[in-house]
Amino acid sequence: MEGAVSLFSSDHKDVARRYLWSGLGFLLFGGLLALLIRWQWAWPGQPVPGLAWALPESRGALTPPAYTAVFTMHGLIMIFFAVTPLLFGALGHFVLPLAIGARGLAFPRLSTLGYQVYAVGGVLVLASFAVRLGPASAGWTAYPPLSTPAFTPGLGQTLVTVAVLCAAASAFLYGLNFVVTVVRCRAPGMTWGRLPLTVWGLFFASVLNVLFVPVLAAATALLLMDRLLGTQFFMAGAAAVGGGGDPVVYQHLFWLFGHPEVYILILPAWGMVGDFVAFFSRKPAHGYRLTAGAMGTVTALSGLVYAHHLFTSGMSPVLGRAFMVLTLLISLPAEVMFLNWLMTLWRGSVRLTAPMLAALGAMVVFGLGGITGLALGSVATDVPLHGTLWVVGHFHLTMGAASFLGVFAGLYFWFPKMFGRAMHEGLAKAHVLSSAVLFLGVFGGQLAAGYAGQLRRLYDPYQYTYLKHLLPLNQWTTAFAFLLGAAQVLFVVNLVWTLWRGRVAEPNPWQVGTLEWTCAPSPPPDGNFASVPVVLHGPHALSQPEVLARLGRDWIGQAEPLPDAAVAEPATVDAKCADIGRMPTVGGIT
Amino acid sequence: MFFISLTFAVGWYRMREPWPPLPLSPLLLALPGLALIAGSVWLHRASRASYLGAEGQRRLLFVLGGALVLGGSFAAGQAGLTHVSWWNHHLRIPEDGVSASAFYGLTALHVLHMLAVLAGIFFSAVRLWRGGDARESLRRHALGWHFVTVTWLLLFVAVYLP
Repeated sequence: MEGAVSLFSSDHKDVARRYLWSGLGFLLFGGLLALLIRWQWAWPGQPVPGLAWALPESRGALTPPAYTAVFTMHGLIMIFFAVTPLLFGALGHFVLPLAIGARGLAFPRLSTLGYQVYAVGGVLVLASFAVRLGPASAGWTAYPPLSTPAFTPGLGQTLVTVAVLCAAASAFLYGLNFVVTVVRCRAPGMTWGRLPLTVWGLFFASVLNVLFVPVLAAATALLLMDRLLGTQFFMAGAAAVGGGGDPVVYQHLFWLFGHPEVYILILPAWGMVGDFVAFFSRKPAHGYRLTAGAMGTVTALSGLVYAHHLFTSGMSPVLGRAFMVLTLLISLPAEVMFLNWLMTLWRGSVRLTAPMLAALGAMVVFGLGGITGLALGSVATDVPLHGTLWVVGHFHLTMGAASFLGVFAGLYFWFPKMFGRAMHEGLAKAHVLSSAVLFLGVFGGQLAAGYAGQLRRLYDPYQYTYLKHLLPLNQWTTAFAFLLGAAQVLFVVNLVWTLWRGRVAEPNPWQVGTLEWTCAPSPPPDGNFASVPVVLHGPHALSQPEVLARLGRDWIGQAEPLPDAAVAEPATVDAKCADIGRMPTVGGIT
Repeated sequence: MFFISLTFAVGWYRMREPWPPLPLSPLLLALPGLALIAGSVWLHRASRASYLGAEGQRRLLFVLGGALVLGGSFAAGQAGLTHVSWWNHHLRIPEDGVSASAFYGLTALHVLHMLAVLAGIFFSAVRLWRGGDARESLRRHALGWHFVTVTWLLLFVAVYLP
């Protein structure tokens, strides 16, 4: 009965847990599909052990249509049903209200509705595997005319198109909810300058969700009408009637959403990296305002750079040059942010906890992904690299590996708060370290193969003489991918063990001052706080001399008053949160 | 952004080649929009009034009923115009290409938004009729209605005008 209540509860923590389990399920499924793609590139056309039940006619070998469906569904599932829901649905729903001192989200019923719409989309995605002609197979971008009924007639493509609409509606709903919550529901004293960087990341990404997810919805709605009603928006060539439409319109609309989506996926992770680097260096975040401002600048620029995805679509060279400049410009705020993280680490008392290792891993893979992206932002180098595995390696490092490590940094950090139990630190460290290293192996291999000219969606690349020599490289990359898959067992074992027998978490295991750790028990009750906290300090008030002198520790709660003399801290959580201290504070540090 | 994106798409097609005029006069196509604009004014004025006591509840029910009538007129008008275009003027999809697709497709997407707003108003009216309170929701419905009115103006300029 409790489970049934929890399934329909509109409490943000319950919704977060629902997203967590669904997102992890889809992450596992999408990951298995990725391994199938890697198998095909290492041993093309060879039967996959254990897959004969699904593909009996080929005795388990991926046929070209099955391979096309597999890479399409891998991308779709990972982006719309795994990583985004884990970052926003799970971590965002859970952390955001707690971190700003709110009792819940601004629109609790909207977050329940958002999950239900997402769940319907998820069911449609799974159902698409069971229909005739299989699931969607026009690539995750669903470019027409390939995705129109003339070329992909199966019901699966239609079901998945509706599923993407559902995911878009869900993302819009929680984006709207998060924006309103941050603007209207902050605790007294929680000024914009005292928000944790995670909240800044979630806030900016939510603004992008509200602005650009409807663009995807528009493109998908038009495509759906082309599929179901016979409209001609994107029809072209022999299949067009009455002059037809123009598939390039879809590409513009898709990437007007698609590029901000990269930042939707990475901004929350950037926020977490900024916070964790400060927390575990035991230092205030260097250049807090500049980091938040840099995230805002990236957000503002993110909708202005999308056409670098279309350099080879025949667009005007003048436009190409303009978008190239804007694209390269976006690397400047990103560098400011990166330098601030490095400066925060510099001479800090670095503690290599699992969340910190994941954050550092995210920094490394994102840095490499960002640098390899410069080659795609510039017209001259994009033209030869377009459509190769270089692109795949690049975007997997940025929105795949970096977001993945961001998710796990957040999960390891807030797991004790979510479930009241602490995960095994050794297993967690082994998981994030091995994942980060293996990500570099897998996506580094893809970058190398792409640089050598391997096109990204070839069923059997070795049909081409100039690619035959890449077989050993691809086999090594596949070995790394399978090891990466195996490394996830560490997480699964840790998760199951912790939920079953894990030790009870300490009240503030990371010794940080943010509201969720200092003003609410683990897991937090309904309404989150016994009394609404009055915020006095920034999120990174660490190693402050006066705090060390008066409290004998290097952190102070965001709502904790600094006593006049070295006296014991208030006995209860309530007492900590209710009192208003006298320490004047501004900015992100104090 | 949803309707701006749709307008962008239509703008793209319009830049590519001349936009064939629809078989109905723009004045006729503008008629249902008058109901929308009237509804916007109606709800805007109504949302600034106070509705205290039984008399207030009766007046609020009248406001919601009026909005339902205006919204229903708009939806019926749009349905009638698309019906006439299809059967009397033989404007067909897919034969008549992207302009017919935009006319039917975007009109349908817009009316779906209108129906969502009307559903909200209807449920508020039912709640009020059963003795509940619907004063708070009136402002939300007015916002929704204004949104649909503005997007109809976008639709009119992008698709209906030759």
